[in-house]
Amino acid sequence: MNAAELTEALAGARGGSPDAWGEIYRHYAAAIFRFCRRAMPSREDAEDATTEIFMKVREKLGQYDSSRPFGAWLYRVAANHCWDMLRRRRVRQDLETGDLETLPLEHPDPDQLEQLLTQRTGQQVRGALGRLPARARMALVLRYYSDMSYDEIAESLGVRRAFVGVLLLRARHQLRDALTGGAGIASVSRGKP
Amino acid sequence: MNHFDEMTCMLYLDGQLEAEHARELAAHAGTCAACRELLKALEGEGVWLRESLLEEDGAVPARLMEPPTRARAPWGWIAAFGFGTAGAYTLWSGIVEPWRQQLSQAGFGEGNLLTLMVFHGAFWKGWESMTSLMEFLALTTLGIVVAALLRRHWRRWATVAVVMGMLAGALLLPQPAAAVERHKGNPDYILPAGETVKTDLIVYESNSVNIEGDVEGDVIVFARKITVSGHVGGDVIGWVQEMVIRGQVDGNIRAGAETISIEGTVGKNVMSWANSLETDPRARIGGGVISGANSVEIVCPVGRDVTTFANAIFINGPVGGSVQSYGDTLRIGAKADIQGHTSFRGENKPDVAPGAKLASEVEFEFRKHRPGYESPHFYWWQAIWLGVTFLYGLVLALVMPVFYADVVRAGRGASVGIGLLVFPAVPILAIIACVTIVGLAIGVTALLLWMLTIYTAQIFVGTLIGEFILGKADGFGHTVARLALGLVLLRIARNVPYVGGWIVFAVIVWGMGAVAVALYKNVKRQPALA
Repeated sequence: MNAAELTEALAGARGGSPDAWGEIYRHYAAAIFRFCRRAMPSREDAEDATTEIFMKVREKLGQYDSSRPFGAWLYRVAANHCWDMLRRRRVRQDLETGDLETLPLEHPDPDQLEQLLTQRTGQQVRGALGRLPARARMALVLRYYSDMSYDEIAESLGVRRAFVGVLLLRARHQLRDALTGGAGIASVSRGKP
Repeated sequence: MNHFDEMTCMLYLDGQLEAEHARELAAHAGTCAACRELLKALEGEGVWLRESLLEEDGAVPARLMEPPTRARAPWGWIAAFGFGTAGAYTLWSGIVEPWRQQLSQAGFGEGNLLTLMVFHGAFWKGWESMTSLMEFLALTTLGIVVAALLRRHWRRWATVAVVMGMLAGALLLPQPAAAVERHKGNPDYILPAGETVKTDLIVYESNSVNIEGDVEGDVIVFARKITVSGHVGGDVIGWVQEMVIRGQVDGNIRAGAETISIEGTVGKNVMSWANSLETDPRARIGGGVISGANSVEIVCPVGRDVTTFANAIFINGPVGGSVQSYGDTLRIGAKADIQGHTSFRGENKPDVAPGAKLASEVEFEFRKHRPGYESPHFYWWQAIWLGVTFLYGLVLALVMPVFYADVVRAGRGASVGIGLLVFPAVPILAIIACVTIVGLAIGVTALLLWMLTIYTAQIFVGTLIGEFILGKADGFGHTVARLALGLVLLRIARNVPYVGGWIVFAVIVWGMGAVAVALYKNVKRQPALA
């Protein structure tokens, strides 16, 4: 679906055309399902979330600002919906604070990190992602799946913008830990150059 | 200068550092191999994360292939709940409770009707002993209903596991040791005199069954004719054309038959549904009699109450309890000696022979077969009923507008054929479901819903008739006007002599068909299973 087709379909869907809405749905359903699959803890949750997101999007179509990319708006709605669902379950947020102090200060050994990147498959990464706390998982998905900016992530997750970097870096550390069975990546001492 | 930390490197790669800070880092990295390596590794990690997350894995579930329909009000559940509650109340207050009272007066006092018929009664025992097919059907029906109810949650394995566990549990429940002797397909079964069956005896697919010997348990028979001239320690239960009791039955007689003739002794009660129930003066019934029949003749001693629904009733013997009769004629012979109260509700005055002994005069309530057009009461009641039905329709249209519109739309199509199918099928399936304990609730609920739909049918058909005259409804006000007109016409039509009954039947079939079609379409509209 090119930009012109999308614009036409959006206009049709706003006018109440089920066919136009069907086109939009079929174009984005797979991507949104995969987004939910990575953000939500189970496949069933992801399926439910996908259905609900599209129902919400259809209802809110009038609010969409057509000067901005539709895909980005769709992901924002999806992110908000998934995060709402996760928050309602009170998943481990209370353990996560905004303090920089909780971040490991050591630097990862670049060699070991690169080794990890070559050794682990995409499937293993997604498996490990599923074991992360909800907010860490959500941050990685928003950044690396939906390609959201720090501002958008901050808005979706309801955190200060300055905290997004902390969230992302901590999430990357947690993912490395999950992929190495808790061993993590060895740190290197980094004195003065 | 210090190395840059991991966070700063990541922010730099993500374009989040201020310009000056970023230039500083870039300059440092140009000269520092360690920081360059770290930047490279982190950048690689970002790419790796992006690729891993964007990678397509597995197909999109089938149920997500098409856009979901708009969220609908759960009117199906609301309807089921409302119908169920109203139906339960109606059934209980209108049918079960009066029956229970009558049964208890007639000596069937223990437990409620359900217990009497299903658990205590040998009906249950009988079914259980010959149920492989029936149980299978019931469980299949139950399974379908449960699957339909749970289809939204079907993907949740925990729910599935619980439901399956319950079903399996129900199947594996230790069956009572079925102490039963069975005979199938023997055209002329005879239990000869002098022989004893120490358990229950079940005979089916037979032409004639002769019990000349002794049965210590119950006798359950599906045959053309059964004659008991021996002794039965338990109950005699049968679906037969002809039943003759010459010997002694210590328990109850429970029968659906063309003719039932009692010439011997029945220790407990007689409960029958027959064309004719006859007794012999030499016979003796220890308990009470409840009978629905064309003609009932009780000329032998009866220990307790007699309750009959029959065209012609003749009582000519001692009755230990009261007599309650509903029917066309009641004759009380000279040998009658009724200890309790006697009441009769029917079309003709009871005929009491001069020698009859009655504890009190017969309480007679005249029941007219045809409506009394000449009486103002008639019109008053018609108006009341019209008002009640209209109010009910109004509530339906307000509470469940979508359902209401769906049913009316379905009614415009060929719903009469579906109605003809559903009308008899639902009670049959419900009764089959009742055979198992687990299916009992579903069976009873289905039956209640079915009964309520019988009443509700006129609402939808009334609206359709109104639409036929005034044109299609557009909005609530229009619908209500069509409903009102249709109900008035239906109320008039149902009181037309001779054809009124058929009109009522047609309305029920039409309306029930429309409800079934609307429900079916609604189920189909839900997202399919993954």
